[in-house]
Amino acid sequence: MPAIFTVDPRTGVPLYLQLIEQVKRAVALGSLAPGEQLPTVKALALNLTINPNTVARAYRDLERDGVIETSPGRGSFVRADGSSTGESRRAMDDVANTVLGDAVRETKTLGLSRARAAEIFFEQLDRWFPAGDDHK
Amino acid sequence: MNSTYAIAIRDFSKRYGSFEAVSNLTLEVEPGSICGLLGPNGSGKTTTFKCLIGLARATAGTMEVEGAPVQPQTFETLAYLPERSALYEWMTVADHLEFNRRSYRSYDPKRAEELVDLFRLERKKKVGKLSKGQHTAVALVLAFSFRPRILVLDEPASGLDPVFQRVVLDLIIEAASTGSTVLFSSHQIGQVERAADRVAILKNGKLIVDGTVDTLKGSEKIVEAIFDQTVPEVDGLAADPRVRRIERSGRILRAYVKEDSDGIARRLNEFSPKNVSILDLNLEDIFITAVGGEIPTVGGDGA
Repeated sequence: MPAIFTVDPRTGVPLYLQLIEQVKRAVALGSLAPGEQLPTVKALALNLTINPNTVARAYRDLERDGVIETSPGRGSFVRADGSSTGESRRAMDDVANTVLGDAVRETKTLGLSRARAAEIFFEQLDRWFPAGDDHK
Repeated sequence: MNSTYAIAIRDFSKRYGSFEAVSNLTLEVEPGSICGLLGPNGSGKTTTFKCLIGLARATAGTMEVEGAPVQPQTFETLAYLPERSALYEWMTVADHLEFNRRSYRSYDPKRAEELVDLFRLERKKKVGKLSKGQHTAVALVLAFSFRPRILVLDEPASGLDPVFQRVVLDLIIEAASTGSTVLFSSHQIGQVERAADRVAILKNGKLIVDGTVDTLKGSEKIVEAIFDQTVPEVDGLAADPRVRRIERSGRILRAYVKEDSDGIARRLNEFSPKNVSILDLNLEDIFITAVGGEIPTVGGDGA
């Protein structure tokens, strides 16, 4: 099984939340395609060396959120409309928000002015979102 | 399925003379779960295990496995890995496997052979000639080779190198994913953090933390404020019921917060710090906070 998920047990973020975020991210980015089967609870628990009940809890929450569906005896699958659900897109927004928020806070701690921080931010935007690349 | 706990320890106390090794411990472990028992040396972990499986008598309280007191039949379904090796030095690894095959009806010889290979043990070697880690490995082979429904493991990774420590975690996780229940003690918080869904922390024979790892992580935070000059006096912060403990070092104030970390962060912000951040606690932080005050300071300058 490819190691498509990674979790870090040493952080303070509960493992089931890390896993939920990873699955939503994979679905939103398309690395997990609609209809694709997820590893079984046992296989994923062993692959990541984490508690099986933690994996089962993450799968239950993902099912509740409409990202995956589980049929008894067959396994868990990405829902056909899994990537277009508000949940998956919201998950991406959440990740972006956290990452950018941390960066901005860090920048403030360095003692930079708001104007200088904005300059740097737009330099980075231009670097990764070149002009004319608005829809990518 | 039903409400019977796999392991139920209730109001358990153990006294040796005037010394109370364990006081009034209640710990109920759900079937199919992995419970990690943490605590400093001498906190009562091994005493609890010994009384649970009947090697020592409880001074007070009840101990049940699958709803019944421990009896000889219990050991058809429960495997116990003692803290100190209970192997015979003069017997070979293969002798031990044979001995167990005769002792347990549910013993699975094929599984035992797989596990011997997994731990790279030499079958013909006398146990007396094995390293500490290999001792542990043999005991683990015996414990896991009759596919027990309940595993009570006292320091199951003791003496093992990091590769085999991971193998032990895999065995524990695999057992739980097929419905077995595991209660294990460890000094390695990282192992408990990975494998356990539930953690219990003992200190001086008392249960001081008990909960799921995820809930504990979600409920405790550190609010850290860094000041330009010195850390100001924040009136009433130490006595605030939301705050478990405060640490000051140099220009940094850290509050260990049980709830409403946002509120505490806003309160600290009134004192115009350079920066306030809310940090998540990992299990090691939770352990040290709980066991607190017992951590010897290295270096000794207290800064």
